[in-house]
Amino acid sequence: MNTTALKDLLYRLADDQLILGHRNSEWNGLGPILEEDIAFSSMAQDKLGHSLQLYTLLHNLGEAEPDTVAFTRNAPQFHCTQLVELPIGDYAFSLIRHFLYDHAELLRFQLLATSSYEPLAQVARKLKGELKYHVLHANTWVKQLGTSTEEAIEMLQTALNETLPYALGLFEKTEHEEAIIADGIFPGEDELKAQWLESISKVLAQTNLELPDLSTVAPVYGGRHGEHTEHLQPLLDEMAEVFRLDPTADW
Amino acid sequence: MYGSVSTHDIPAQAPTGLENEDPQLLAEFEARIARGEKIEPDDYMPALYRKQLIRMIEQHAHSEIIGSLPEGTWITRAPGFRRKMAQMAKVQDEVGHAQLLYSAAETLGKTREEMITDLINGKSKYSNVFNYPTPTWADSNVISWLIDAGAIVNQMANAKGSYGPYCRALERICAEESFHLKYGHDAVVHMATGTPTQRRMMQEALNRWWPPIMTFFGPADKMSQHTEILMRWKVKMASNDDCRQQFLDMYVPKILEIGLTIPDPKLRKNEETGKWEYTEPDWDELRRVINGDGPCNKERLAVRRAAEENGAWVRRALQAKQQAAKHVRPLA
Amino acid sequence: MLTSLDPRITRLHLPDAPPSIEPKEAFDQFETYEAFHQKKEGTAYTYVGPVHAPTADVAFLFAKEQYSRRFPCTGMWVAPTRAISLTRYVGDTESVYDFVTEQLPAQTGAEPDESVQQAEAYARGEEDYAIFHLKKRGKAHVHVGMVRAASPDEALLQAKAVFGEQRPVVNVWVVRWADVLTSDDEDRDIWSTTPEKKYRDAIAYKVQDRIDRFKQEQQ
Repeated sequence: MNTTALKDLLYRLADDQLILGHRNSEWNGLGPILEEDIAFSSMAQDKLGHSLQLYTLLHNLGEAEPDTVAFTRNAPQFHCTQLVELPIGDYAFSLIRHFLYDHAELLRFQLLATSSYEPLAQVARKLKGELKYHVLHANTWVKQLGTSTEEAIEMLQTALNETLPYALGLFEKTEHEEAIIADGIFPGEDELKAQWLESISKVLAQTNLELPDLSTVAPVYGGRHGEHTEHLQPLLDEMAEVFRLDPTADW
Repeated sequence: MYGSVSTHDIPAQAPTGLENEDPQLLAEFEARIARGEKIEPDDYMPALYRKQLIRMIEQHAHSEIIGSLPEGTWITRAPGFRRKMAQMAKVQDEVGHAQLLYSAAETLGKTREEMITDLINGKSKYSNVFNYPTPTWADSNVISWLIDAGAIVNQMANAKGSYGPYCRALERICAEESFHLKYGHDAVVHMATGTPTQRRMMQEALNRWWPPIMTFFGPADKMSQHTEILMRWKVKMASNDDCRQQFLDMYVPKILEIGLTIPDPKLRKNEETGKWEYTEPDWDELRRVINGDGPCNKERLAVRRAAEENGAWVRRALQAKQQAAKHVRPLA
Repeated sequence: MLTSLDPRITRLHLPDAPPSIEPKEAFDQFETYEAFHQKKEGTAYTYVGPVHAPTADVAFLFAKEQYSRRFPCTGMWVAPTRAISLTRYVGDTESVYDFVTEQLPAQTGAEPDESVQQAEAYARGEEDYAIFHLKKRGKAHVHVGMVRAASPDEALLQAKAVFGEQRPVVNVWVVRWADVLTSDDEDRDIWSTTPEKKYRDAIAYKVQDRIDRFKQEQQ
């Protein structure tokens, strides 16, 4: 098995989960409805938990400890897509990002459940139920709000239009794409993207929201290769503020 | 996380309105409480009981939702996965506690929205301690451990109170607080027994938080107004001083054993009386802070208000989908 | 702009001195739903508390995280508060059924078998109702079973006939089964990892060793 390619994939997965989990935690205590505040926090915690499990797989492959990997790298060393690093915006934006991202996340882990790399397949199988709830949550909100008032529909549509180019960045390939597929680790980004498109379209069709014609949308790439928006480095600095106070300390 | 705001004590001269209650119903109500049975939402209850309970549970709920903010301050900066996830879970729990408590208060007839509006407008109060800032990660840990420890002392007492929905909420809350307490203790111990930087941070945070902690249970009993009837009705379950003494008994040794010092030269246990002696807390400051003039009052309310306003479009959007014509109280 | 020690709050760009809040024309909070959970397979659904929500499916999303994020759970029901009928509350040693004095119309003829009975009942416009008992004040209502009836009042009479021997019964809730949203059996895995989230549990924090080591070093 091509370990370099495997690690590249694991970093992409783990970094996405970490950064979006971190971003979504910013709503914790500030959410729009008490109950939603609680639900959104749980999903953010889950994402951090997923990233921890994935960094642990990387650690088992010889990479540094999860805390070191998560809290000491700088933006150019991160492989997350730019979608996850964008600021939380208004709740419509955060919901739409959650919807677009979590559909891809659920499908990605479904595909990974049969990965030839058994440790990853095990993680993927375990997360199935959690991710099912995340997508149920996203779908319910999008369906409810997407069929409600003009105001809400417009907010969601704006968010959808703005987010979509970044969401397509989720499927950016790296130079290891062929090796990953050849080794049976993951069936590839094209396969995932096709499934994702079908999956989100089905939900959006039940709303007054319109999915823009994807042929007119230029995907935002770069994240998988360490090119990031101006938002990622400040996020990382903030996340590591205490951790870096005393690198020898056990917190 | 709630101590006592003390404002639920009735002024000695204030009318109780008991003369307007049906004497037979009142006698049955008091007999039920004396038997140790809980009161449930649809039971007869004196107007004064309802009013004082709403006030107390509402203040408790506000204390949870506002109490999520000082620790929330460090949610994006918690060091390491273990702390990061636990800090999120803890803040989430405080929001969850607020939800449970607002629901319990709603069974008494005041809507959650009215309560939150009263909070934002400064009309109803919450624990004073949450108006102090958390300038470092260590401050957040002190809250997680010692403020939650104080809250448990108070909440365990209240859980033996007479109102069913409040007891049900507190049962769940106390179970979750045990995680908070252990988590907070774990984080404090790691810092207090850690590197010199960590130890210094922790000692400074404790120095900052000790005075507010000492006021957490409310003013000294000698300053308290008449509470006999609230005690008899099992609304107020323990005196402020008793809670404070119990807290000191349990936690002073735990603070000292990890090499921290407590910034009160007068603090000592009088072996003859079995009571702790301490520097008289600044009750004027307590009153000032509760009434709005603390270091963070304005920010706390502004943030809560922003959260409510963030949700307005969602509520507007989904109002039309509802089937209920008007507000229905939750059942229990 | 409000500058906070909390970077999240600074990013909200809140005004330093917001204008005082306008009184609302009408309150806009959502209605409430009551939630019930099942702790483990085969056990009765038990009341856990209310949530505010616009619809039943949103109520389910909310109840799942508010009431089952920590303890094992195998199923959840939510019902709108307005759809639940309840009796008055009696004392902890009594049964509220003793105060339900109306009688059911007497059965005529031979008892047909269960499936025929059921078909006839539905044909008459009867429906299933879930019955919940409160055994002790301050505790939680527990699902005791189902009855078939044409109205909540009749369902209570049926419940008395079926469950009336149980005691104490401090209070009874009656809810038309069609008003209850239930989790699907096939979705039970949404709770499968709950027990693994140890970071949320007190039990994960064991620090005595560290304290003992510290004390030894101090000596």
